[in-house]
Parts: sequence; structure tokens; C-alpha cells
Amino acid sequence: MVHVLGVQLPDYQYARFALTAFYGIGHKTAHRLCARLQIHDKCKVRSLTPHQITELAAFLSSPSTSIPLPRMPLASLSYKPPPASTPLAVLKEETKKLAKKAWADPLRTIKIESEARRVVKDNVAHQRMIGSYVGKRHAMGLPVRGQNTQTNAKTAKKLNRVDRRG
Amino acid sequence: MQPSLILQSGRSAWKGPYFVAFPNLKDALINNVPIRTQARACTILPNFVGIRFMVHNGKDYAPVTITQDMVGHKLGEFAHTKKRFTYKMTKNK
Repeated sequence: MVHVLGVQLPDYQYARFALTAFYGIGHKTAHRLCARLQIHDKCKVRSLTPHQITELAAFLSSPSTSIPLPRMPLASLSYKPPPASTPLAVLKEETKKLAKKAWADPLRTIKIESEARRVVKDNVAHQRMIGSYVGKRHAMGLPVRGQNTQTNAKTAKKLNRVDRRG
Repeated sequence: MQPSLILQSGRSAWKGPYFVAFPNLKDALINNVPIRTQARACTILPNFVGIRFMVHNGKDYAPVTITQDMVGHKLGEFAHTKKRFTYKMTKNK
């Protein structure tokens, strides 16, 4: 059993799937995260090195302030290289410009645990505040999207409320 | 309206939001006259803010006053179509 930021990751699971124990991390994000930390697909939690675990904890504690990935973008087909006589300083500037164009890193904007829960809570509070049907159904603790309520609707009764926890 | 709302709605972005062009919009804003409409699927646009609508709920027209926070939602979301069941002792009440 490995504890990362108060979440238990079971030893026998693949790291890629164990990471979904975090609220706000699904299979896709977990896969990305493993790629980022160079954890291979068949790596189980018990075989993670202490270094990898600290790296994981460091990344997840504040994804937005993590070290950005070094990116070396490829030039497009229409790119014409500058003449050989260009000074080195100008070339360096150009590479910097190219690197800045790099895509927005999806892992930097992830929200996990309490942050992700707060997003859900805020969305429900917004719906309730403006008095929409969705907010009303949350207040009643009933399904929001037209499901049956004569029977079942157990999950909605458990979860749907204005200060939603899960 | 947040640009992401269009993306989240499941509707193609190139179409933009679905809305009905109300001819009496300006008049309604100045004179504070409610607009009676059955267009429940009409998206609330930023220029609807402050206007009163009477939105059809299948039986009669429910009053809806548009505020800034409602932008991006549909008119029908604010006119509830279902009445909550209340038990009455006798039938002829």
C-alpha cells in the first residue's frame, strides 16, 4: 500500500489504474501522468521506486506549478531555414519563439480531490442560484436528466444535493 | 456567455447557439413588458439580460426574469413543466 497525498494506492494494481483512485483522475489522465513520470504500462504500484513516488506526489500537489515539459516542435513543411550567415543569437531567439507556440499542457490544468469536488459543488450551487430545473432536482435529491424515479434512482438519492460531496 | 458553453452543449460550434430572434426585444426592455413565448429551446443571449419572459410550460406561461447568470442556459430551464405531487384527502377538493 502506497500513500500519496492521503490516497491509498493498492500494491497489486498497475500504477496506471491505481492512479484513478484520486478523485478527478480517470484512465486518460492516469495514462498521461504515467507517461509524464516515465512509469511503464505494466508497472505495478509495489514496484514504483521511492523517487517516482515523491515525483508523483510533487506533481499532484500542485500540477499548475510543475516544471513545464521541454518541447522541441518540428518545423512545418513550409518552413524555410534562415541562411547560413545568420548569427547564432538570432537562431536561438527563433527556436525560443517556436517553443513558445507549444500546445497547452493538459496535465497542468487538472484538478484533483478537494479542488475537483469544489468545481462540482460550485456548478450545482450556480444551477440552484439561478433557479433552473437542474438545480431544483439537485435540491430534491432526484435524477437530473429525466431518468425514472418510481423505482431505482438510488445513486441520485445518494449523491444529488446542493452541497454535493461526491 | 463562456465560449466553453457552446462546446459543452454538444452542438456544432460553427452553428453557434440556437436562439429565436424576438422582434419586440428592445420594446420589452424599455417598457418592461414581458415577452410571451413558447420557444423553450431558445438560448439566453447576453442581450436578453433584464428582460421579462413568460415562458410556456405546456399549460400556462411562467414568468422568468433574465439575470446575468442565466446567460447560456435555455429559456425552458426556468419554466418547470412538472408539478410536485401532493396528496389530497378527497377527490372533490
